Amino acid sequence: MNHSHKPETFADQVRAAPGGEHLNRCFSCGTCVATCPIQWSDESYNPRRIIKMAMLGMKDEVLSSPTIWLCSACDICYRRCPQGVHISDVMKAIREVAIQEGYEPVRAIAQVNEQVCAGCGMCATVCPYEAITLTTGWVMGQPTTLPQVDRFLCLGCGTCAATCPSSAISVTDDSDETIIAQIREFVEEMEGQR
Amino acid sequence: MVDAARHPKVDVRTYTEVERVEGYVGNFKALLREKTRYVRADRCNGCGECAKVCPIEVPNRFEMNLAPRRAAYVAMSQSVPLVYTIDLDACIHCYKCVEACGKLEAIDFSMQDRLVWEDVGAIITATGFSHFDPSVIPEYGYGRYPNVVTAMEMERLNNSAGPTAGNLVRPSDGANPGRVAIINCVGSRDKRFNPWCSNFCCMYAIKNAVLIKQAHPDVDITIYYIDIRTPSKGYEEFYERARDMGIRFMQGRPSLITEDPDTRNLYVLSEDMTLGQVTEREYDMVMLNQAAVPQPDVDTMSSVLNVTQSPGGWFMEYHPKLRPMDSPTDGVFLAGACQGAKDIPASVAQGSAAASRAGRVLHAPEWEIEPVVASVWEDRCISAQGKKCGVCSRACPYSAIEYEVGKAAHVVVAKCHGCGGCVAECPHNAITQLHFTDAQILAQIRALLADKPETKILAFRCHWCSYGGADLAGVSHFEYSSNERGLRVMCSARMDADFIYEALRLGAGAVLYSGCHPQDCHYITGQRVGAARAERLLNAFEKMGMSPGRFRVEWISAAEGDKYARVINEMQAVLDALPREQLMAEIERLRPDMEKRARRMREVPQVKEALAFADRLKAAMTVTKTMAG
Repeated sequence: MNHSHKPETFADQVRAAPGGEHLNRCFSCGTCVATCPIQWSDESYNPRRIIKMAMLGMKDEVLSSPTIWLCSACDICYRRCPQGVHISDVMKAIREVAIQEGYEPVRAIAQVNEQVCAGCGMCATVCPYEAITLTTGWVMGQPTTLPQVDRFLCLGCGTCAATCPSSAISVTDDSDETIIAQIREFVEEMEGQR
Repeated sequence: MVDAARHPKVDVRTYTEVERVEGYVGNFKALLREKTRYVRADRCNGCGECAKVCPIEVPNRFEMNLAPRRAAYVAMSQSVPLVYTIDLDACIHCYKCVEACGKLEAIDFSMQDRLVWEDVGAIITATGFSHFDPSVIPEYGYGRYPNVVTAMEMERLNNSAGPTAGNLVRPSDGANPGRVAIINCVGSRDKRFNPWCSNFCCMYAIKNAVLIKQAHPDVDITIYYIDIRTPSKGYEEFYERARDMGIRFMQGRPSLITEDPDTRNLYVLSEDMTLGQVTEREYDMVMLNQAAVPQPDVDTMSSVLNVTQSPGGWFMEYHPKLRPMDSPTDGVFLAGACQGAKDIPASVAQGSAAASRAGRVLHAPEWEIEPVVASVWEDRCISAQGKKCGVCSRACPYSAIEYEVGKAAHVVVAKCHGCGGCVAECPHNAITQLHFTDAQILAQIRALLADKPETKILAFRCHWCSYGGADLAGVSHFEYSSNERGLRVMCSARMDADFIYEALRLGAGAVLYSGCHPQDCHYITGQRVGAARAERLLNAFEKMGMSPGRFRVEWISAAEGDKYARVINEMQAVLDALPREQLMAEIERLRPDMEKRARRMREVPQVKEALAFADRLKAAMTVTKTMAG
């Protein structure tokens, strides 16, 4: 047994979290950055830099970066990564450390309107990140099946909101009403131009 | 090559395969298949008339299928010997070649493959390497986009003896490219395909870029790389020269190549590491610098030559630093990239070293081997009694044991390197190792544990690593418990379970089972044989309820003197923490079991005598002590 008394570094913390095991494998080739679809719309989005910063122990910079909350785990980068670094898993591990350290997600997550929810569970079935579990909750003194959203796992894709037959689940700021209003505004604008 | 073919003592056999190799150092027999060319080598003068009249055209493999060749062909114009071959898979039997050959009558369609046995003293393996096929990387589009070419294709396109006579053209439209991208590490340093660095590709990319730039100074060349590795003499200077010439180096591994279907131009998407920005640049042509991979038939050759393989399939050397040209099989040597990707200077150096090694074998009237070898007691081997076993043969990393049911196992002494794996593995104790017999080791165990065994730490060390580690701890003055008693065997493979049982039966306080790290093992896979046994022992002792830490397994290299000292001190701490009454009770409780397990060992020839001698010695020592006291 080797009991090392070295203080746990930030990189160790990330590697200890599920998914963060392969952090040190990254040799900074940039394939992930050049692959990432988020990069197309946000040039500052750079997963390679986050991994490098995590390896260097730049804890505050990493944990307060919006990047760690934006990865949608499409995993195209993972398929192309020559070192087999599962980047979305590393991001998940970093997010877990962030939550432990009291950082708040800087992105919208799914929210349930318990008054409307019928407990059908379709949202849990369709969630690509397995972020929704069904639990028993109490609504107006009655036990009811309710979905519970894991805020670490939810990436705010909105699949649940689009699926829900009772419009009982929505992504913050992306509720059906907001989107419909946006579409209306857009259509009016287009018509105005015509 | 021509000089070699003309040398009176060099016999060049081209178009010939080695099918089987038997025997051992200095006494090999090789079965060669001389494939038929359908052209008589003694009559063909290489005039090439047959190729001129041949109506069939097939892709030319030497030109990377960028040019045709006839069904009557030579592989390349510099072939030695210059003898034509009829490709029977393509031939339509029009016999125009026979007509063209005329009076020479060199073409003979009735020829057959010839199998010949040759006696050889030594074998040098120089089978080279092959190229990774980049079409399995979908994002680079090789095979879909005509202007994405491999390094070898670029080599032929830019070669004055190539199909375009050195006029660099791109495949889609034959136009001269103005912008060329070279992508490094295609299929190498990539865990999805080959984890290794292919060694020469950085220099190869730079060489190709310089060649293109020299012939066509206007071409804009960009080399995409992860790291540029220029470790040999003059290499860094060459890299500098390339930069001076205006060749652009871009750090960042491309993630995607896309094609404009109209112009057939290519867009390379990568992150420019220095800018931290994603860039997409347009090129007329892209060269993929593929990984070097072992030959496709490397597994067959490996079993024919009885040469083991390293991870990835390369032939394994005897020692990565000290004996890179020797294979673990005596008399078989390695030269060049068959042992691992390497460039020309390294291949030449290794080839020359292999030749001088082989020369040593050929010039020696007798060949000295280590005296530590395995030896079978034929009357004890159950295979001789018609029972199936073969444990020894499976444990041997050198295939030195010939095993056949009905006959006693036979050790080919010239092949045995003396790890002792077979000796320890044999379930019937029918094999011994000269200089490390069971009797000798058991007598040592007795002597080392003669006095207050419960306070002792008996350390089994392998000759090459953990013994060296203990030695280093000593010369470095790393203090460790003086209760340690070291016992040297050649390899952890020799550390027979019976030795451990005997030590515990005698009441040893703790036992250390130590050897090389698996990658350092001096006997290819000896450590693995030892490690598997150690694992079984750990499980068995845990089930018996032995205190944890009393039997410990550690892999310690000769450089890890500090680790050796630390392990021993930790084991001493385990013993110190165990109350003496509890330890004694545990030893007594386990003794009958150990007795039962170690009993078989006593039937081994010489053991009884050796132990009786050890006992007499102990008695004598006790008397001396009493007298002195």
